[in-house]
Amino acid sequence: MNPANRRDILKYSAAAAASTLSFPALNLAHAQGGPLKIGLITPLSGPQEFIGSYVKNGAEIAVDQINKAGGILGRQVALEIRDDKANPAAALAAARELLGAGINLHTGGISSAVVLALIPVMQQENGVFMTCGAGTEKMNHENYSPHLFRPGDAPDARGRAQARLMATKYPQITRWTGLIPDHEYGRTMWGIFVDGLLEFYPALTGKKPEILDPILLPYGVSDYRNSITQALRQQADGVYNATYGGDAITMFQQARGFGLMQRYKVVCDAANEFLVARGMKQQLPPHWTGMHYYAEANKGNAMSERFVADYLTKTKDPEPLGWAAEAHASIYALAKAIEKGKSTDTKSVIAHLKGLTWDTVTGPRTLRAEDNQAIKDVELVYIEPAATDKGYRVAQYQKVEGKSVLLPASPGKKLVLRTA
Amino acid sequence: MMFADVLTLLVNSLTWAMATFLVAAGLTLIFGTLHILNFSHGGFFMIGAYAAYSLTQALGGSESMAMYLFGALAGGAVVAVLGLAVDRLVLRRLGGVDDAYVLIATYALLLVCEGSTKLIWGLNYRSVMPPSVLDGAWVAGHAVIPKMSLFIIACGIAVFVAMEYFLNRTSSGRLVKAIAVDAWMARLLGVNVRLVYTATVAIGFALAGLAGGLLLANQTLSPSLASGFVIQAFGVIIIGGMGSVSGAFLGSILLGLIDAVGQWVLPSLPGLPFFIAMTLILLLRPQGLMGRRH
Amino acid sequence: MHASLFVGSHLRRDLAILLTLALALAGLLVPHLLNRGLIFIVGMVWINAVFGLSFNLLFGTSGVLSFGQAMFYAAGAYAAAVFTQQLGWPLLPSLLIAAVTGGVLAMCIGFVALRRSEGVYFSILTLAFAELVHLLVANTSFLGKNDGLSALPRPRLSVGAWELDLSQGDMFYYCIVVVSVVLIALLRWVTGSGFGRALQAIRQDPERAEFLGIPVQRYRWMVFTLAGATTAAAGSLVAPWAQIVTPELAHWSNSTNPILYTLLGGSAYFWGPVLGAVTLSAVFYATRTLVGLSDLVTGMLLLLVVLALPGGMLGVLSRWTRRDSPRNETQEPKP
Repeated sequence: MNPANRRDILKYSAAAAASTLSFPALNLAHAQGGPLKIGLITPLSGPQEFIGSYVKNGAEIAVDQINKAGGILGRQVALEIRDDKANPAAALAAARELLGAGINLHTGGISSAVVLALIPVMQQENGVFMTCGAGTEKMNHENYSPHLFRPGDAPDARGRAQARLMATKYPQITRWTGLIPDHEYGRTMWGIFVDGLLEFYPALTGKKPEILDPILLPYGVSDYRNSITQALRQQADGVYNATYGGDAITMFQQARGFGLMQRYKVVCDAANEFLVARGMKQQLPPHWTGMHYYAEANKGNAMSERFVADYLTKTKDPEPLGWAAEAHASIYALAKAIEKGKSTDTKSVIAHLKGLTWDTVTGPRTLRAEDNQAIKDVELVYIEPAATDKGYRVAQYQKVEGKSVLLPASPGKKLVLRTA
Repeated sequence: MMFADVLTLLVNSLTWAMATFLVAAGLTLIFGTLHILNFSHGGFFMIGAYAAYSLTQALGGSESMAMYLFGALAGGAVVAVLGLAVDRLVLRRLGGVDDAYVLIATYALLLVCEGSTKLIWGLNYRSVMPPSVLDGAWVAGHAVIPKMSLFIIACGIAVFVAMEYFLNRTSSGRLVKAIAVDAWMARLLGVNVRLVYTATVAIGFALAGLAGGLLLANQTLSPSLASGFVIQAFGVIIIGGMGSVSGAFLGSILLGLIDAVGQWVLPSLPGLPFFIAMTLILLLRPQGLMGRRH
Repeated sequence: MHASLFVGSHLRRDLAILLTLALALAGLLVPHLLNRGLIFIVGMVWINAVFGLSFNLLFGTSGVLSFGQAMFYAAGAYAAAVFTQQLGWPLLPSLLIAAVTGGVLAMCIGFVALRRSEGVYFSILTLAFAELVHLLVANTSFLGKNDGLSALPRPRLSVGAWELDLSQGDMFYYCIVVVSVVLIALLRWVTGSGFGRALQAIRQDPERAEFLGIPVQRYRWMVFTLAGATTAAAGSLVAPWAQIVTPELAHWSNSTNPILYTLLGGSAYFWGPVLGAVTLSAVFYATRTLVGLSDLVTGMLLLLVVLALPGGMLGVLSRWTRRDSPRNETQEPKP
């Protein structure tokens, strides 16, 4: 064999070894008394990039506002931002890196898989994580850990608030069905909505709701026509849609061809905020949907007005979607907990987050000590098509009191729901 | 099952089938002639859709059928030009290279398509409505047949007929077929094979772009449009026979029906019949229903 | 063809062992020098290296292009998850059973696929099978459906009466290094053995190999099974390391990862996939704060490698060194 080749291979292996040894240079330095660092781990590429960008902007605005007001404990705050690509392995790498560098407080996490993956790490490496809108209910139930907090809407509060609203506004509509994506999130949202229907219709109208078998939409396809046809045959009066994002828009688009949504007396959407409205504009079927945050519903709240103004300045977007507000709220919660305990130490922060009441863009919220879930009022809006450039407008909105719909805490146990 | 249900099921299956065929037509043409499986075909389909969208938006919207069709043709033209560039820069260099590298290069191209789309058009979801003449549906008792569905079926059939005519009735088309069978012999007979290859690539890509424009109102316009159709198109051309346009046509109809029946019979495992069919064909008759062994 | 770096000689075998040890040492030094986050990434690099090497055993050595290796990776990961979490098994038996699961799955699929198809049809068939597995896993209740299985424990290592708790500190990292080194050594040994040389013959010219008496079909089936087993073994390390398994592990985009490593590093060289895995991780790590461009960057990188750097990084390296010596080959090693 060529001696030159062998020399090269030795050279190369030495270089490889040397380069691994030089990694310490990449170690993040953090000086005591330097900036207070908070980790932001959220999707900034890949399919969930769109929502992740709202989280990033919301968090950055919160940090700017806090810094202008003097920072936390006299220190300026800085975000260490990492892209989790909505995939657990990338999120884990990012979390472990930040934890290893001494950054123990994190926020972000809108993907359920990411949140579930981070639970053991936060426990092991003694960190704190706040989710800005992940859909999984497991983090406050069977997968509960004191290190994870949900400062925003609980999935069960949202779905039950929607059911309660339906019972209040549409007492005559008792025949309900669902358009449910065939995966965990979809099934859970439907289960929660049904639980709400079964409690609130008898309680508020005296009538028992008739719950039809929901239409399960295949996940990961772009043609829903057969499911839509099935839905047509059902002849329900009210429908609950749990499809999400791009899939929801495709479904609504194709359903329009069949005139499906026009056959229902009311359409209730789980969590699409303005996504479907912005996509479809004038062609939108009028529908109720849940928002993590709706600016109009919070007029008069100084923090909310300031948030909208800052968001407009920063991104030229006049309508920050809910996830930005959740990120904003999570930073403020961390700030208050740190100030209260006069320390960024995990144990102290957890102790002060539990039971914390703090001001947010949606008003005051309280983090339940038993299961780390926030008690927050649910914001629901009714969107209609409009003959404007925007294409849609909010015709009415409602705040449903969180306390009246949130299910009791059951950390460590699976969520138990009523069934028909 | 009532007649109305069967009719609706049939129409839905055909709609899916023709939508998939529109995407798969260009893919199978390029494979048949150049023996290159273009992983990035879905990416160019997406770019065609976005191009059609931007153009029609700039010119006042696609409410009229004429505008909608113009957008689709423009999308096809734009992507055809891109195809020529891709041919020059990428495909020509992959001439004598192992099949594996070709697949990987075209996969890389798909990533480039997706990244560029996000960069140019951003991440927002957009939704385009069918032209107003295609709004609504024909209702016959329990059967509901959206006009858009019939439009898509018509498009698919039109493209199929056009391609069959081109390949079988015109001399240039027959030349393409001849080269697909034996390029070496064609070269010996004085045919400018390189030119025909380039033209085929242009046509194949044009079909991708055209499909993007025609199907603009069928689903959400988002950067993940590409990956949605990739696997479907592959399945269809494999079952039909890689390289055969009529095979792709038949394959898509067959798969559409299998999928619809599958959703009826086995709703808890969506997509399973599709992959089982694909697997079975690859095992029992790898050249597909109408393909020939290479 | 110029002496392929696959063909073993004593000198090279020693070198390979030396290199393995050097890498192992560097691996073991890592926990003392790096922070915990980087340790996680380095652990993943070890696993990815084995994944890539298994793929290249099929592609570079035997000429079998599989687009579905993710299904074996996922099989191993899920097997390990189920056995350690639900049955509380210690590490070694879980690892073994994961490898066996992958091997059996590969054996069955290989039996069917290799017999009936070749070339690009075979590659697409592996893709189809992988998607089937992805579908089945995502729809199976006891595998957690879409959410997968989370909160997986770090198992204990028990040899007879002696036990070691791997959840302490960096213990599991050392475990990953040891297991990876064993797997890499195994793959190296197979590549340099008579069987390995026969596989290379099959890749270069299957017809001629058949004439020489090499049972082409049987050997392809055997190497497919072996690669499936080692891929599953790599996957089984991911389960306790990341402590979560999701159906995404079986998605076709995960099948493209080992292809990426191999091409980047150079498929004609045994160590190519390792170099590719290290390099790609380094690139992703260095660009981790530059958000949003990953698709474009990865795509362009791949295109660059395929079009301009055939043979990958090691190919370029060896071409530079060959410039110093008189050319005595009639053609470049087939990329």
